Amino acid sequence: MELTRTEITERLREILLAADDRNRDVVAACTEDSRLVADLGFTSVSMLYMVIAIEEEFNIRFENVGVADFNTLGEVIDYIEAQLK
Amino acid sequence: MIVTTKEAFRKYTDEAQFARIVEMDTVSEMWTRCLADYAELPAIVDGGVSRSYAELERDAAGFRTLLDQAGAGERVAIFAANSYDFVKAYLAVVTTGRTAAIFPAHLDAGAVFGCCMMFGVSALIYQPSFSERLELLRQRRPDLKLLPADALCEEKTPHRACEAKTPCAIVFTGGTSGKSKGALLSNQAVMQGTVNGCYGYPDVFEQRYLLILPLSHVFGLIRNLMTSLYTGSTLWICRDNKEMFRDIAMFKPTILVMVPALAEMALTLSKKFKRNMLGDDLKCIICGAAPVSPFLIAEYDKIGVKLLAGYGLTESANLVSGNPESLTKPESVGIPYPNQELRIENGELWLKGKNMMEGYVGTEEPDAYSDGWFRTGDLVRMDEDGYLYITGRIKEIIVLPNGENVSPAEVEAHFNTLALIQDSQVFEDRSELGAPILALEVVLRPTELAQLPEEERRAKAVAQLEEINRSLPGWMQVSKITVRDSDFKRTPAMKIVRYHYGTDKN
Repeated sequence: MELTRTEITERLREILLAADDRNRDVVAACTEDSRLVADLGFTSVSMLYMVIAIEEEFNIRFENVGVADFNTLGEVIDYIEAQLK
Repeated sequence: MIVTTKEAFRKYTDEAQFARIVEMDTVSEMWTRCLADYAELPAIVDGGVSRSYAELERDAAGFRTLLDQAGAGERVAIFAANSYDFVKAYLAVVTTGRTAAIFPAHLDAGAVFGCCMMFGVSALIYQPSFSERLELLRQRRPDLKLLPADALCEEKTPHRACEAKTPCAIVFTGGTSGKSKGALLSNQAVMQGTVNGCYGYPDVFEQRYLLILPLSHVFGLIRNLMTSLYTGSTLWICRDNKEMFRDIAMFKPTILVMVPALAEMALTLSKKFKRNMLGDDLKCIICGAAPVSPFLIAEYDKIGVKLLAGYGLTESANLVSGNPESLTKPESVGIPYPNQELRIENGELWLKGKNMMEGYVGTEEPDAYSDGWFRTGDLVRMDEDGYLYITGRIKEIIVLPNGENVSPAEVEAHFNTLALIQDSQVFEDRSELGAPILALEVVLRPTELAQLPEEERRAKAVAQLEEINRSLPGWMQVSKITVRDSDFKRTPAMKIVRYHYGTDKN
């Protein structure tokens, strides 16, 4: 599957939006530099949700990485991009 | 005063099954019945391997021998992640009349040592992969017996009877003041909690349960593991939450016990990917440990799943009330389970009953009781049908959306170790983007400040605070640090007036 970084970002944004409609403003304002915990308020469950949803959406597996390994949204996108290659 | 019985729950379960819900006083008594009634049924599935009740007893019986041979005393710690070995070790400990002190799997070496001292354990059962975190314990307490959880023994020792009041488990809690400690639960408390898990829904026995919650949490230990065993059900142990939906697809659970945030996540994923991620056989979700939104109850009802909300505490062996009328009274935490006495004093719920703990271990909590009643710290009201509603909390604990209880006092204690910090407050706030986060505000200590050049003061304080913050477990870390110019607002007794999100601070 050939996806551009913009397409990956857009799909990731949709995943985050689906999780919490009340967080629409937060997700709309986020950038690749947004930190998952400090800026987006991620908890252990939102991390889990994101990982499961990404695996499903992009048909990839998070192998040998913990959610704590990701600090920013950009790092998550990097990982997806690397896995898709 | 309100006194409760099981009759209120009768109409929700078919007559034959309701008759099988029999109260018991000890885990050994329950286990005797399990072996008589369910010996060949699958009890635990872990890592793809299924073990029957008889096989679980065979392995637990071997482990009892190891405990006796090691000369394990009254209290034995269990330091292991959710696994078949955990269940086997726990059963072996409690069915020999010993007390299982259950350590959360994330404890570091210092905490493991500290908790062994605090709880006065004589032996510790550990998961072999956690061995590195026992180094400090090995050095400082060479006398303490260490048993790997995967050990097996050919020589079998049968389970032993004990008394209703024999201590059964020590379970971690922040309590009402927020300082970590253990709640000592007797056999009768654990069993009352176990049996309470059977009330309020149609199909109770021989179900399929999935274990996602940690067994070090009372909701996982009692409602998930113990009720599953009591009812002759099969418990599938999900070892990695990331694999939860793959496990569900294979196992097809009929009952799930989870925190609301996970139930909501499953719903979101099902909608997003347009398929029922929870499997077609699911009938019921038992939801607790954090407030359940009526929206969630209604959404699950649409796909034929009954979502039962409840209310409980570690101190009450988990279950205080459950809501069998979740559709008609979605905002309630339900009707109280049997054998409790409830009193509502100035809005605060006070409890007595068979399910209540014997007390805390490792710390004094002078304010926990009044006239022999346990003070929950939760503000409640009861409607004309006897349904309870939580209206607020006196206690200071912050409950994050994932059910994680963060005790501000406990987090603050870490920052307060710095000489530069005079006082601190951890509270729930919103990030710049509007997401819920933990935040810290501090007041600096003037005497220490005076020794630093003025331009370096704040930067130095922030650098030190950030260093402490990074050293904390993820769920304890704050996302925002603010250095105040003035002192906090204080009560007449000079205590800090705490911020409560959505009211005074924000």
